[in-house]
Amino acid sequence: MLDIHSLEQRWLKYKIKRSLPYLLILLGTTIVVIAFDHFLYSDKVSTPLTVKKEISSVKKQPKASVHDEAMVLEPSMQFIQSITVATPDITVPDVTAPATPIPVIPKKALPVQKQISSPLPIIKNVQNTPPAPPMPKLILSNPGNKTTSIKRDSATFNIHEIEERFTSNSNPHLGLYIARYHYDNGNYSEAYNYALKTNAINNTIDESWLIFTKSLIKLGRTEQAKKTLQLYISQSNSEEAKNLLNGLRKEGEK
Amino acid sequence: MENSLFSKPRDLFLDIVNPRDYVQIDSVSYMYQNLKTSVQKPLKMILLYGKPGTGKSMLLHKLHHDLSKHQKVFMIDIPIIDEGDFLRVLAQKIYSYVNREAITLTDFLELASAVNYTQTPIVLLDEAQLYTPILMEKIRLISDARALKFVIALHKTENEDIIAKEHFQTRIWESIELKNASPEELKVYIQKKLLKANCFDVASMFNDKNIHLISKLTRGNYRDANKLMFSLFTLYAWYEENYPTKIKHNALKTKWIEMAAIHTGLIRA
Repeated sequence: MLDIHSLEQRWLKYKIKRSLPYLLILLGTTIVVIAFDHFLYSDKVSTPLTVKKEISSVKKQPKASVHDEAMVLEPSMQFIQSITVATPDITVPDVTAPATPIPVIPKKALPVQKQISSPLPIIKNVQNTPPAPPMPKLILSNPGNKTTSIKRDSATFNIHEIEERFTSNSNPHLGLYIARYHYDNGNYSEAYNYALKTNAINNTIDESWLIFTKSLIKLGRTEQAKKTLQLYISQSNSEEAKNLLNGLRKEGEK
Repeated sequence: MENSLFSKPRDLFLDIVNPRDYVQIDSVSYMYQNLKTSVQKPLKMILLYGKPGTGKSMLLHKLHHDLSKHQKVFMIDIPIIDEGDFLRVLAQKIYSYVNREAITLTDFLELASAVNYTQTPIVLLDEAQLYTPILMEKIRLISDARALKFVIALHKTENEDIIAKEHFQTRIWESIELKNASPEELKVYIQKKLLKANCFDVASMFNDKNIHLISKLTRGNYRDANKLMFSLFTLYAWYEENYPTKIKHNALKTKWIEMAAIHTGLIRA
């Protein structure tokens, strides 16, 4: 006689035992496919999970309220503070000053401080001129202080330095600039010399010839200036040179 | 339970070799005709071999059943290992020589020459692989003397080529190998057996899927198929008595076939 219940239990065990390898293979295959898919796409693009996370993080942000919508956005002016403001030129008293008592000086006796120490050089806007050298930096004192003092920073502008550069590289634009500088400052002999050097390097610069002849005129050598102008006009046909020559002739006729 | 629809089919598959239960299958019938033809030839020995459960015993019984009507045939289905007993039993059954003491080969040959048969008597030996080489040598000598004709059925094992054995190699004039049943042959075997007993309802329950499963479990072994069918119909008879609604009459349940296979040891669970 068969023990059916026992037989059914044995059959159940047999089916589980028989199905187990297939289940393990299926599970292993699934894991391999998932792992392969993960490694395949993780190197190229962000995984869908990352995208979902980003989307969810965006969604989690609180919605703008009516109050927020009414808020007017204004540009931040804080960047102004980042601009370098020249510190006021405050002379710090020497702490290590001698211990001798400082004599009290009456206010009336104090000299009036000169606001502008020296006149700035005037540079005409002339064609074929080199780019302007760094101008002397103007240091503004505290904006709240009514007595604004402008000081020239002589350290940043030195004509001798430019002259040295011209000597080293013989740049005609530098030579023209130096000649113009000396002519403007009344130093006509130097202006003559540098204009002459500039013309020797490049004899096509109109302004250099004009400074050269004007310097000759200022130095009282008008006839040489006329001859130079005539020679230059014959080669360049410069209108300014013609006007200058005509002006000299009219003055000579007077 | 005895009146169950499945009790009669169950009894059909009892593991008993009965020539009247012989089922004609094409390949087996062909082999049987070959065997009958070989027996008619003046052969000394005929070897019938095959794997266990291929129907060797059934063929021998069938042959014995058919030949015994016309000539002297004796079948030894249970091997007689002792030489003296073997010859004594043969002398008694073939020549009606009754002697309580064991006889020698010389005595047996003298007896055989004294008795004259129109047709050489046939001895059918089942499970011949159990005989000792010495006894097999005696059998060879008897067949050489044409005193008897032997039909020897034995198992074909994987590790031992029996045909190559010395005492068979030079004297066997006919050898017939039986094969395991194919699924189609197994289907014919089961259904013919059921139809022969008028179990039409049960025979119609077998579909191809069931047959393939049975063939896979039994590997075409007729004896295992008989055991499996017996357990299966016992199982069906139990369910018919206890849970009749679980039975579907259009097909056999795979689960119950497997349960029957577990019970018979075809599946190790």
